[in-house]
Amino acid sequence: MDNQKPSMLAPALIGGVVAGILSGVPLLNCLCCLWIIGGTMLSAYLLSKNSSVALSSGDGAIVGVFAGIVAAVVQAIINIPLYALNREFIYKFVEKFSEYAEEMPSGWESWLEKGGVGVSPVAFMLNLVISAVIFAALGALGGIIGISLFRKKTPSPVQGEKDVSQDASDR
Amino acid sequence: MNKKHKVYFLYVLILTGVIAWLGVIFLAPYLKSQSLSLNIFIYSVFSPICHQTPSRSFFFYGQPLAVCGRCLGIYSGFFLGTLLYPFLKGFSNTDLPKTRIFVIFSIPIVIDTMGNFLHLWLTPNVPRFFIGFLWGLILPFYFIAGITDLLLNAGQPKEKFD
Repeated sequence: MDNQKPSMLAPALIGGVVAGILSGVPLLNCLCCLWIIGGTMLSAYLLSKNSSVALSSGDGAIVGVFAGIVAAVVQAIINIPLYALNREFIYKFVEKFSEYAEEMPSGWESWLEKGGVGVSPVAFMLNLVISAVIFAALGALGGIIGISLFRKKTPSPVQGEKDVSQDASDR
Repeated sequence: MNKKHKVYFLYVLILTGVIAWLGVIFLAPYLKSQSLSLNIFIYSVFSPICHQTPSRSFFFYGQPLAVCGRCLGIYSGFFLGTLLYPFLKGFSNTDLPKTRIFVIFSIPIVIDTMGNFLHLWLTPNVPRFFIGFLWGLILPFYFIAGITDLLLNAGQPKEKFD
């Protein structure tokens, strides 16, 4: 039992939340997909740190996929208040613009009042599902890279002998 | 389907996905130029993974692409890396590149991204594309190898550390 892999839940949650926050916050999100890859690399690092068995790149892919899905959910939640802020900003912008424009499209006021720049629950869910798929793919990539960088190497027999002799000489 | 065929199928699936991904990036501005509303959906699909700032994007049919110059470089590099993968690595080899290779390919994008992020300099779009392209080249050698490993070795017992 003790040579089982560590749980992926905590690493996936931590890496996913970090990636989701950093990729969702305005100004910070200028690093595009790099936050997702970086966050899922963090997941792979945490998984590797707590592991007593040699992890494969496939393990990195799995933890990366989970972290990517978490990141998509976190980013979607962060974006909910931002939709409202954007909506208010656009409303004010169009309202100001209409003072100077000679001709505005007919019905633009009712479009804004109906929430033309808002997001319906269906669109929100659709965006979330699509984001989750994309983030999962990017997460798999980040997880695999993370495992390649941070996994513990199993010592080869020759290296093991060398280490023993070094230990002996140290004493 | 035996393992060999599964690996071929996986490769073709990834290659097809990358081609479709790049195609959709160019489809969005074309649809926008034709005033077809599907463009809004495509731009919104890419918005969570790219800032889509027009000044940092290439234009097609008079409209910005669905992703910025750096992201386009990464995906284009990924495409070329995917094409080269079977010739440089073979299909069934799931070894990942050495850490120093990853570091060498990543140094330019890390320096450039940090420099732009901290407003130390502003890289024009063409160099941004090539910096992203260089990094994108190495990525399939992780992605395809990792997914192939998952496909071939799922459920295998793990070696325990002492």
